[in-house]
Amino acid sequence: MTKSTLIRFLIGKSILETVLVATIAVGFYINAFPPYFHGWGEATATTIAGWAVNNNAPSERVSVQLFVDGTFVAAQSANLARPDVPAAGWAEDEWHGYSFALPALGAGTHEARVYALHESGSGTRLTLQQLGDPIRFSLDASGRLIDLAKPHP
Amino acid sequence: MTENKEQTIDLISAKALALAEIFSIVVSCLIAEWVFLSFFSRHRWLVIVPLILAVIFMILSHRAYNESAQMIGFRVDNFLSAVRLLLWPTLLAVIVILVVGWFLSGPPVLSRLLRPRLLLVPGWALLQQYALQGYINRRTQVAFGKGAVSICVVAVVFALLHLPNPVLTFITFIGALVWAAIYQREANLFALAASHTVASISLALALPLNVINGLRVGFKYFG
Repeated sequence: MTKSTLIRFLIGKSILETVLVATIAVGFYINAFPPYFHGWGEATATTIAGWAVNNNAPSERVSVQLFVDGTFVAAQSANLARPDVPAAGWAEDEWHGYSFALPALGAGTHEARVYALHESGSGTRLTLQQLGDPIRFSLDASGRLIDLAKPHP
Repeated sequence: MTENKEQTIDLISAKALALAEIFSIVVSCLIAEWVFLSFFSRHRWLVIVPLILAVIFMILSHRAYNESAQMIGFRVDNFLSAVRLLLWPTLLAVIVILVVGWFLSGPPVLSRLLRPRLLLVPGWALLQQYALQGYINRRTQVAFGKGAVSICVVAVVFALLHLPNPVLTFITFIGALVWAAIYQREANLFALAASHTVASISLALALPLNVINGLRVGFKYFG
């Protein structure tokens, strides 16, 4: 064993460790944040509503959480009827909808984000993945929601 | 061809190679602590992967440096001399640990002696002392020579491997200073492992778990 061989081993060991750590990092990311969740949401007159599907298990209901202006509001299982979901080919059944009633909010513009809840690590880890885009809305004088992403007359 | 290779090695100084070796072993240990133990909690045995890589590399390195087991410190002829050097610092450490533990949480919890994992401490201590002194101390001596600088580097490395646990980081820094200095006088890994074992068990018995956080290091410290 010469020192030049040792240097080769040193370089080989470094490459192997880099590959090992990168593999673990990618594996962990895919496990904790799988790219299977799809969904969409909007502000209706009184609720934040939409749908959520886990493409890896399309027949299962997705647990979703609503945050408004960065604050947790509520959690529920997305199991309401959404005929548009099977029509668009996202799932075979229509029971993938959610609908969140909002708490009292102040006047002005607000932002809602709906997340899919994912369990990994044999239940030791819970991660949130945002479904669709953030939903920007405001409240009119009567307290009705106005989705700022939709065209208004 | 071989001559050219050796000339290349001459260009990479012995000091740079020794420092690169130390860095490589430290990285393996950090990967074990911060990656494997954190992300494979249900398959903790996988931590042996980076550790085996490190041990294989250290063995190859000993061959490249023509170091025998005796030179590294696996020997018994100087065991008593090393024990004599280690006796008072170890006793002092145990007394300080017991007094601080008593002050913080009362008498040592002797029931913790019944934990089966304590049986692993001597072997684990020998492996740590081998890596720390038999390998890293020897390479720091290649880079900086015998004395204060190499001793401090060994202590910093050992403390670094116990981050982010502040109590363990401090204690291991002090412990490694003493062990590294004694290793440079009497290279005997069995005596060092005995001292390490006594100190570790004293810590586990005397200090409250919330202070040492179950001796956790790496990401595990946080959860």
